[in-house]
Amino acid sequence: MEDAGIREVFYKESREILDNLEADILMLEEMSDPDVVNRLFRYFHTLKGSSGIAGYKNVYEFTHKIESVLDRVRSGGIEVNRELVDLLLGSLDWVREAIAGDDVASGEAKQALIAKTNVLMGTVEPASEPVSNAGAGGEPAREIEVGYRYFRVHAGFRDDVFESGIDPLLIMEDLAALGKFVDRRVDRSKLPLLTDMDPEKCYLSWDLVLKTKQPPNKVDEVFLFVKDDNDILIEDITAMYTSETPVQDHSEEKKLGEILTSKGILTEQELTDVLSSLEKNKKLGALIVEKGYATDKDLQFALNEQEKIKKRVETSTVRVDTEKLDGLLNLLGEIVIGQSAINRIADELDEEKGFQLKNALYGLDRVTREFQEQIMSIRMIPVGPSFEQFRRFVRDSSQALGKDIRLEIEGGETELDKTVIEKIGDPLKHMIRNAIDHGIEPPGERESAGKERMGRIMLRAYHQEGNVFVEVADDGGGVNFRRLREKAEAMGILKQGDEVNEQRLLSILFMPGFSTAEKVGELSGRGVGMDVVKTNIESLRGSVEIDSHPGKGTTFRVKLPLTLAIIEGMLVRVGGSIYIIPLLSIVESMQPRREDIRTVKEKGEVVQVRGEYVTLVRLYDLFGIKPEFSNPWESLMVIVESGMSRVGIMIDELLGQQQIVIKSLENYISRSRALSGAAILGDGRVALIIDVHGLVEELSK
Amino acid sequence: MSEIEDTAQQEQRADKSYRSMAQTSRAEKTEEESQFVTFMIGGETYGVAVLKVQEIIGMTQITHVPNTMVFMKGVINLRGSVVPVVDMRIKFGMEERSYDAFTVIIIVEVRERMIGMIVDSVSDVIGIPVKSIQDTPHFSARIETDFISGIGQVEDKLVIILDVDRILSSEEMSEMDRERS
Repeated sequence: MEDAGIREVFYKESREILDNLEADILMLEEMSDPDVVNRLFRYFHTLKGSSGIAGYKNVYEFTHKIESVLDRVRSGGIEVNRELVDLLLGSLDWVREAIAGDDVASGEAKQALIAKTNVLMGTVEPASEPVSNAGAGGEPAREIEVGYRYFRVHAGFRDDVFESGIDPLLIMEDLAALGKFVDRRVDRSKLPLLTDMDPEKCYLSWDLVLKTKQPPNKVDEVFLFVKDDNDILIEDITAMYTSETPVQDHSEEKKLGEILTSKGILTEQELTDVLSSLEKNKKLGALIVEKGYATDKDLQFALNEQEKIKKRVETSTVRVDTEKLDGLLNLLGEIVIGQSAINRIADELDEEKGFQLKNALYGLDRVTREFQEQIMSIRMIPVGPSFEQFRRFVRDSSQALGKDIRLEIEGGETELDKTVIEKIGDPLKHMIRNAIDHGIEPPGERESAGKERMGRIMLRAYHQEGNVFVEVADDGGGVNFRRLREKAEAMGILKQGDEVNEQRLLSILFMPGFSTAEKVGELSGRGVGMDVVKTNIESLRGSVEIDSHPGKGTTFRVKLPLTLAIIEGMLVRVGGSIYIIPLLSIVESMQPRREDIRTVKEKGEVVQVRGEYVTLVRLYDLFGIKPEFSNPWESLMVIVESGMSRVGIMIDELLGQQQIVIKSLENYISRSRALSGAAILGDGRVALIIDVHGLVEELSK
Repeated sequence: MSEIEDTAQQEQRADKSYRSMAQTSRAEKTEEESQFVTFMIGGETYGVAVLKVQEIIGMTQITHVPNTMVFMKGVINLRGSVVPVVDMRIKFGMEERSYDAFTVIIIVEVRERMIGMIVDSVSDVIGIPVKSIQDTPHFSARIETDFISGIGQVEDKLVIILDVDRILSSEEMSEMDRERS
């Protein structure tokens, strides 16, 4: 059982490392930077270490080989070229599969990779160690014993520990039974003179390093009865023992003096001297220089070191299940609901009391809003890592097509809700694939058009007006409007002679089954896809538009909400029911004039608004409820927009806008596509949220 | 206000019945029996397994949901969760009746989701010996019997035992899943 736990942790950790690795390997291809090589080396090194602990012996052995190759690269023995990059990428894929448990299938692949490694190593030093059968036993490096863990245990007991009937000796014996002590130190500093000693008191404490195969909870159990009121510290330091280079203890901030002594600039003696003469309000550094123990330069070095350690401590992270975050957000939603309920009561109180209560609520409201923002920010992660994964994709697929394409990424630090990032991956991939396949021309064609041989695809993210925009832009040939039109006419979407602008033409690209590709490409062009992209993005309450210039390229612009859990909504009343319309989709609201309302064949009722016709939606009809007004000129109309179409929703009253915590509505509850969920209002009632996109779709059926 | 009182009464009632349940179970340990929450719909006594019942609440405001099954009355707010409620009278093909002070919503768990059942009134928690629960007799084809798992006899009373997992048939649930997704 415990093993499965270790593997789970390893699996998660390695996935992150592998993604980083991929990005770095691709970076290496672009420019041979020693920093990148070092980083690669470290990643493989970490993989090696943790795969050993998790019991993936094959991964351990394999990464060790790669590590040797990288070491050779580091020392300049092997040149960085495409062959090396291919090998590294291949190894990466193999490791990924092996970790996923696919070791049977990848046995051959591994052999091939090892052969390649040997060739690489062999070309440099043909007479060196017989690497070809390294797995059999020629392993020169220090092999870690798979499955062992190391714990640092500090056991300091209260001096009256014997009174509680506990004998530290027995505990220490229990601990020793778990494994072997590889390091032990007894602190005798508290031991008094024999004459002063109370035989019923414990004066000793221990610092031990235990090497064991037992899981951490077994070690914890040993101290079960004493850990609460004694000074017991148990720390898993396996990583320090499995790395060949000693890992610095960065778990706590180091003091300046300690850094100076550990670097050999100051002796212990000097340090105690300085510390003892340290006055208040005086800096330790200044005093050290004053006493002539160190130069300014030494001090600066130590301060930098301190800063570095501090940074490492500050960016320490915690992994949290997203479900827990969702839970927090739900609870917060409840608080907001409770608050608005109190607010309503405050309205009913007499003026003075009501005012006081409102003031108090106002303060509370500020805090909850901030609270909400904080929680949301936890859910927000930068888009960079998910963008990086496309580098490999662009490289592989452009090579397959004989094109030369570079992916440029901008705005990787832009943050988006984790769920949105997860769901945007496929649509983005599709748009990038489109750009590779149809957008960017073959190198020859580009040259004759006077462009660079190498095509460019830009993946860009940025914030604007409370939304996040993600753009996929290529510098290819652009959409061929003439062909697009011909195709649309052939498919009967447009009639000959129809006047349509470019935007309208481009929106045809998103229609199901539509493709302008002359031949079906290996990657795309089957006419399925862009409509799926659109639906996927719209299901995230986003939108997508295309911009294209012949000869210059095409840009897909995806607009996404910052988060999925909370929206700004407009509360509207129809009869006795309250509905919520997302504020983002609302264009305006108005009372239509009687003479502006017409009935058009096949389109139903429309309202003329400043020369444009808007389809009128009698929501009460659609939802089967009784309205207050059934004449459009008596009721209000909220004009909403979805994609290219606008409709006017008939309502009785606008109740005002509010932040809405969305609760999902189980699918089986309603068949209507015009609903996207429900929300709980301040008075505890449930109000349904109108899905404008779904509403428009339902109407067009 | 009256809702709150109602709920309080019901809680008391439920409390009492739990106590009586505990007593009976101690007294009749020899005979294996199951516990059921019983309630009335149209003059008949029905029961659902006590473990399936999350709670019983008084009538509350129901938000109408468009385009749904006839017996789905809408959704309610159950302490922050949006829970669908089913009118059992409509489900059983009986005539609708306006809700009164006795009308309650029994919240049951159906395949990990919560569903409320609107019933005329709630009665008691009773233990029915497993032996005296009979299989569903075949009614006329007109009446759905899928969600009736058996009929139990307690003294001279018949209790129709409902299988809450079948209140919404799997077709009803999955058909809608498909349509919306």
